[in-house]
Amino acid sequence: MPTPLTTLFNLGRSYSLWVYQWGLACCAIEMGAAFGSPRYDVMRLGVIPLPASPRQADLVVISGTVTDKMAPSIKRLYEQMPEPKYVISMGSCANCGGPYWDSYSVTKGVDQIIPVDIYVPGCPPRPEALLEGVVLLQQRIKNEDMGARWRGEGTKARTAKPIVVGGGPIE
Amino acid sequence: MSDTPSAPELVHDTTREGVVTAMRAALGEGLIDSMIKPNDDVWVRVSADAWQQAGRVLRDTVGCEYFCFLSAIDWLPSPYGRGEDDPTAPLPERDSTIKQGYTGGSTRMQVFARVTNLQKHFGVTIKADVPDSEPSIDSWVTVYAGANWHERECHEMFGIDFNGHPDLRNMYLPTDFEGYPLRKDFPLLARMVKPWPGIVDVELLPGDDADEPAVSIEGEPA
Amino acid sequence: MTDLADRQKLSYIAAQAADARLNVELETEGMTLNIGPQHPATHGTLRIIVRLDGEQVIWAEPGAGYMHRGYEKLTEVRTFPQVTALVNRIDWLGSFANEVPFILAAEKLMDVEAPPRAQWIRTILFELSRIANVSLFLGDLGVQLGAITPVFMAFRDREYVLNLIESATGGRFHPNFDRIGGLKEDLPAGWITETKQVMKKLRNFCDEIENLLFGNEIFQSRLRGIGVIPAEVAKQYGLSGANLRASGVDWDLRRDQKLPLAYDKVDFKVWTHPDGDSFARCWIRLQETREATKIVDQLLEGIPSGSVMAKVPRIIKVPEGEAWVSTENPLGEMGYYVVSKGDLGPFRVKIRSASFNNISIVPWVLRGVYVPDVISILASLYFILGDIDR
Repeated sequence: MPTPLTTLFNLGRSYSLWVYQWGLACCAIEMGAAFGSPRYDVMRLGVIPLPASPRQADLVVISGTVTDKMAPSIKRLYEQMPEPKYVISMGSCANCGGPYWDSYSVTKGVDQIIPVDIYVPGCPPRPEALLEGVVLLQQRIKNEDMGARWRGEGTKARTAKPIVVGGGPIE
Repeated sequence: MSDTPSAPELVHDTTREGVVTAMRAALGEGLIDSMIKPNDDVWVRVSADAWQQAGRVLRDTVGCEYFCFLSAIDWLPSPYGRGEDDPTAPLPERDSTIKQGYTGGSTRMQVFARVTNLQKHFGVTIKADVPDSEPSIDSWVTVYAGANWHERECHEMFGIDFNGHPDLRNMYLPTDFEGYPLRKDFPLLARMVKPWPGIVDVELLPGDDADEPAVSIEGEPA
Repeated sequence: MTDLADRQKLSYIAAQAADARLNVELETEGMTLNIGPQHPATHGTLRIIVRLDGEQVIWAEPGAGYMHRGYEKLTEVRTFPQVTALVNRIDWLGSFANEVPFILAAEKLMDVEAPPRAQWIRTILFELSRIANVSLFLGDLGVQLGAITPVFMAFRDREYVLNLIESATGGRFHPNFDRIGGLKEDLPAGWITETKQVMKKLRNFCDEIENLLFGNEIFQSRLRGIGVIPAEVAKQYGLSGANLRASGVDWDLRRDQKLPLAYDKVDFKVWTHPDGDSFARCWIRLQETREATKIVDQLLEGIPSGSVMAKVPRIIKVPEGEAWVSTENPLGEMGYYVVSKGDLGPFRVKIRSASFNNISIVPWVLRGVYVPDVISILASLYFILGDIDR
């Protein structure tokens, strides 16, 4: 694909993300503060936090503890999202099980169920950390190769390494 | 609790002593043991057969109409300790004598419940032994309607059956979950695979006194 | 009344009767509707399965457990300070309030009392967490009924309280500030004057919400007379907090219990309402938020000076025994039954959470209501999923 076209598409996609909020636990409140409060406004980044269903979203933020009982719902709702889709895992419970790592009913990290693009560590991460995650995701989208995505190489296996907020430059 | 250690009988708690007297009058042999901490709390242990009757006595005679909670305790010391064992070494020998708490007991598991009297502002903790061979006890659903959910949770966590409960399904765990998690011999698998890296260092640092306070900070005047 | 209106009324009644006859004759089957577990209107992952006949609910069953993290098992393998850090996350909106009963139970077993300054600061932070929690409830109430504006105002005003808590403890929520014997450290300079300013702002917020929501005709007609819970049923199910007081029962653990907190040094009013419907529950929470700001103002006037930590050994081993402490948390009565065997950590902790009992009444209260009322009754009962599922 010609580069100006790719750049244009990527620019458009990165500045008009529709976020599906999967707010499970305490991180959902910080996510709500990031998305809904006038102080850590996320709409200034172009991200609209109001899609009514996963079928209209391109980004899902999984915030909170993922239990084994909830895991099938997450998988089902992830599959309902249309490509291209991105996943931000927010909080240490979604990253790796968090403070409940040894519990009998907690999935140790949402990346056991769905592929994750950005990890935002914290318990709970500040709303600014989540916004930084969104900005890093936007930078990654701008550097994406749309042709590869359309040919299907991006969907089968996420070849790019996932980003951890606070952990170095983007590729 | 204001009595000196040398004279523990000085304080009389007439309200709570009245509770024990009323229960003994109503249950007779059913009331096995009791313990009062004056002006603090009262514990009562009844036999498993008198469990439902004791609930009715508490609700009607003693006036505890408010149902706080119902649960169980497994008194077996955990064979896995606090989950800090080295997973490559075999499991160390641990003391497994069962020692119950306040008001004693003779079985491994006990159900206990708490009800409150809103007029006179006191609460009663009531316990009962659950037979080891076949853990089951009467249900409290006819006495307090709120016991429904508490007994469901107790059943799925401990494996105690409640006779007379209308619907003893799992509440929290998926239907195909095997085992009873809150029993002490149910291991936390994540800890068996990888020991907890934050084991508390119980040795004192050189130069520290065992009774030294953790921090001492002076506050600012208001 | 004109003849036309009368005729219209009669024809309307006749149509309803015909409909009813038709339903009886056809025997249409009810529909089973699954609300949740992920739904913008529930406070988290609660699944309600309702069986409907037309628009009316025949029976309803909440399916909890989607946030069950196994707290009671986890406390058995942690030390007391580690349990304090974990227990913050049960009621995740007003988290300081979760630590307090656990610490008080451990202090009861150790026979240690925190110094007066620590007790007063604990009470102030407790009331601040109540304000943070319930102000979000007031905002969320609007969202449940379809009004989206109050939630932005609630988040904005909650930020002030969270900033206060953060400047004192280091964490916006999940402060992990309480320790056995006192607090982690003292208040920063200037905190008291700042808090007084914030309390004024929050009283303004309460007035704004009252004008915006509670006077609204739609709000009143959707909540008045819906979901009535009589006092006897409330006591049997163990409803607590504003839910119990809305049914007319005068019971507030801050006033009716003797605990080492500073509640006996302040004057506050306990609000009750005789109706027991959804409107009463919401209204009482609004009044309680205002009352909490007044309590904080009174407490700020007279904080005693002194240390914030009693003399406790560096490594805490709590002696053998059992203790039960419960406090009036923002959601209701939350209590911990701590069984200790003289070890570094507890032997068994039973966490009595308020929302578990509050939601156990849902099958009883949702019989015969309409579907939109399901959401508004749940909103008025106010639960947090972490509190139900622990």
